[in-house]
Amino acid sequence: MTNGIWVVFKKEMSHFFGDKRLFFTSVIMPGLLIYVLYTIMGSYMSSMIKEETESFKTAAVNMPQTVELALLEYNFEIEHIDRNDIEKAKQGISDGDYAIVAVFPDDFETALSNYTPDESNGSVPNVEIYYKSVNSNSSIAYMDLVSVLDAMEDQLNNVFDVNNNENSDITYDLATKQDATGNTIGMLLPMLLMTLMYSSCASLAPESIAGEKERGTICALLITPVPRSHIIMGKLASLSLMALMGGVSSFLGIILSMPSLMSSMNMAGASDLISADVYRPSDYIWLMVLIITTVLLMVTLISILSTLAHSVKEAGTLVMPLMMAVMLSSFASMGMSSGEVPTAAYLIPLYGTSASFSGIFTFSMNPLCVLLNVCSNVVLSGIGVFVLTKLFNNEKVMFNG
Amino acid sequence: MNNEIIKVDNISKSFNLSAKQRKARKISEKTITAVDHISFSAYEGEIFGLLGPNGAGKTTTLRILATILKPDSGNAYINGKSVVDAPFDVRRQIGFLTSEVKMEEFFTPDQLFGFFSEMHGIPEEKCEERKNALFELFGIDKFAQTKVADLSTGMKQKVSLVIAVAHDPKVVIFDEPTNGLDVIMAKVVTDFLLELRRQGKTIIISTHIFSLIEKLCDRVGIINNGKMVVCDSLSKLTEKESLEELFFRLYEGGEVS
Ligand SMILES: Nc1ncnc2c1ncn2[C@@H]1O[C@H](COP(=O)(O)OP(=O)(O)OP(=O)(O)O)[C@@H](O)[C@H]1O
Ligand SMILES: [Mg+2]
Repeated sequence: MTNGIWVVFKKEMSHFFGDKRLFFTSVIMPGLLIYVLYTIMGSYMSSMIKEETESFKTAAVNMPQTVELALLEYNFEIEHIDRNDIEKAKQGISDGDYAIVAVFPDDFETALSNYTPDESNGSVPNVEIYYKSVNSNSSIAYMDLVSVLDAMEDQLNNVFDVNNNENSDITYDLATKQDATGNTIGMLLPMLLMTLMYSSCASLAPESIAGEKERGTICALLITPVPRSHIIMGKLASLSLMALMGGVSSFLGIILSMPSLMSSMNMAGASDLISADVYRPSDYIWLMVLIITTVLLMVTLISILSTLAHSVKEAGTLVMPLMMAVMLSSFASMGMSSGEVPTAAYLIPLYGTSASFSGIFTFSMNPLCVLLNVCSNVVLSGIGVFVLTKLFNNEKVMFNG
Repeated sequence: MNNEIIKVDNISKSFNLSAKQRKARKISEKTITAVDHISFSAYEGEIFGLLGPNGAGKTTTLRILATILKPDSGNAYINGKSVVDAPFDVRRQIGFLTSEVKMEEFFTPDQLFGFFSEMHGIPEEKCEERKNALFELFGIDKFAQTKVADLSTGMKQKVSLVIAVAHDPKVVIFDEPTNGLDVIMAKVVTDFLLELRRQGKTIIISTHIFSLIEKLCDRVGIINNGKMVVCDSLSKLTEKESLEELFFRLYEGGEVS
């Protein structure tokens, strides 16, 4: 009666689609949450950046023309003050009137022009900069000023240049669109994908298996003439499909919130090279196959643990180590390109998957490795179904208590 | 005598006790014998009652008949099919019930009936026909499209009874049919059982309530400590004394301990 798989599958799906709350919490909400969260994050980041582009009010004593010109580029607003007003200006930093107070010695410019590289006499002119480290505006102004001064100091002592070719339009950064995208996405997405898939699975499977055990409804199911392996397969298929829908929703949430997140990154000076259309269709196909088989494996593993549990709550505790495994394996393979992971490691569940994701996103995918992982997922899920059937046929596991 | 539909042949079942269970029961034995070489038969169209105090082994016996548990030794047959060797054939012919209502509350009676019919491989037209008849008979028809969660306790009880016999089983196994029910609900259940008997089903129930046996059963088996103490037709057993008197006479005589 292969029909049994279909009957169980149909029932689970009709529950899923019929229960507005369940559907909302497992499909609509993950995507919506991510979208809202990322959009807020994006706009928060842009507002922070805007704040940073405010001008830095600076009180300066004896600031040389050259320094003032250099600072213009950094949006400094210089107010020249008298040496006697230093204390008042310092108070101004606390009051928010000034970002920093810069005090140059009287003979600063003369000292600079008399400087010779090989002369190593003890006393050099000292520039004093007062700032307030807890204030971001003040500390950024401080850092900018220090870097301008450092650059000046370097020039006095110029022995060689690095990447200083102002009159030609040579691009020193050889990163391509692929590299930039691969780098950013390759770091973030595998971990995100793994955790999203896991949380989708973990929110559904315990309810469907440990929940039925807890409420005692599983008994009626088990004394029907449908083989228990079919009941299990029907449940796993429906749970995987539901988890995939949750995963797709999360994924859409990410994609849709990307523009706002990216634009804020670009404002911050990150490259605008990042784009999703650098991936080939085959990348997407591999991705899909990986996701489907991984969800199947995750659902199977969580189902085994849920079967061993007496209640949904207990199942929640039992799956904790699995969650740790998901986090650890995605962390361990973060940003790794294919070559860095030994081929055999792709057989390791979760870790191999996360490494495969990294490989795809960093354009270093080795199809053989990904295929190994896909096969490992499928074989392990098969073994999982076998184990589940054994468990479902074990009266101690199913009917004790 | 009618056909022998249920035949229990010398079944035994013991459970391993975990350290926690041993502590809770204040016993040191690692195993407990719940059913100890029990044999009996029930015949077509009758209601057979298993009578016994708490922990006698009633539920365990019925669960073995329902293929939920496997006996350690011995065998049992439903309509000639062994619960050990042909559990799937047995499952097609039995409906298993307890007084506790356990249904997936999200679904409607209509959906649940359809689902369990499908699980038993009942053709759709036959399922519709049977559903309409049973729903009408028990007054569920008006609530067929209401979610179980929104039904009254009494209606839930009726729905759970009807769904358990959706596949028109030849044998109905009912553990503690009226346990924990109020008088009205108890009547719903006993009327249901009498209706099933009228339809020619063979029914086996377990209970510790004498009056229920006297009201419903054709034959009785008294079990205690996992052993069958006496088994005969109700009329024979109660020729000289009431069921209660018989039970306590056996109990005081040490046959029931
Ligand atoms: N899964 C189990 N693990 C351990 N012991 C069990 C288990 N199931 C039943 N028992 C024990 O076996 C004995 C018989 O239990 P059973 O449930 O069959 O009795 P019962 O006649 O139905 O009693 P009640 O009237 O309390 O329902 C009891 O001592 C019970 O505690
Ligand atoms: Mg019992």
